[in-house]
Amino acid sequence: MDSNSSNHNAFPDKVVKVMIDDIFRRNNVKPEEVKNNISNEQKQMLQEMVEDLREQVDQFNKGEKNTTKSDE
Amino acid sequence: MTSYKRHDTTNPFGNKSKYFYLRDKRKHGHQCCQDCGTTNCAPGCNQCDRCRDEHKHHDRHDQHNQFEMVEVDPNATVSQEGGQYAFMDQESAEIIWVKESCDITVDSRDTQIGVSLQASLQLAIALVLNIAIADSGRSEAVSQDLMQYFNADQINKQKIFIYNTKDATVTTRDTDLAINIQVLLQLLITLVVMVDIL
Repeated sequence: MDSNSSNHNAFPDKVVKVMIDDIFRRNNVKPEEVKNNISNEQKQMLQEMVEDLREQVDQFNKGEKNTTKSDE
Repeated sequence: MTSYKRHDTTNPFGNKSKYFYLRDKRKHGHQCCQDCGTTNCAPGCNQCDRCRDEHKHHDRHDQHNQFEMVEVDPNATVSQEGGQYAFMDQESAEIIWVKESCDITVDSRDTQIGVSLQASLQLAIALVLNIAIADSGRSEAVSQDLMQYFNADQINKQKIFIYNTKDATVTTRDTDLAINIQVLLQLLITLVVMVDIL
């Protein structure tokens, strides 16, 4: 599962990454600490949620391409 | 007459920035009379003849400007909202007139799905942050910081007028919304990857 699978991203991935990293740093949030906060169950649930949303967005974007309507 | 109607129909969707612009416009209109140099230009001001004329003139102008702003405004993107708790404000308003026509199919489902999708994405991001950062004070601070980067107001108004037509299909879609959704999804996925859930 890599973050590039929905490839036409609005921003370069790096930009978003740096931004989030910076925000975490500024608020003293350490990734290691975060990992301990999440139980495996929660991980599972969040994973499913994200997958679900990604699918929905893909669906939504596909719908967009189909609607090249001509009017009479 | 038609412009009057237009003004009235857009109002119910009450959008703050629009009013801001309108008031702003009016203020400009009131720095007025060059002859007597009055700055205090209450509408009833009678300092000199010129002044009175100006006022009449301005009144007409004001109305004209209002309509102008209403029509121009949909393209404006306003940042810097005071509210800290909304990631993105997206307002989609549609007005569809169908007049003297038959067999018209209007489908605005796409836009509605998009709005709810955006809401779910925002919720998901907040959720991930809240779970990942146990300390609620800090998780709130982090989401606020994120919001500051992604704070965008978008107002979309579509007006569709169908007149004297038969057998037409209209599908509405909000492209700005589609971009918002893409951005939010990217943010969510990156976030999730960074806290090592995926």
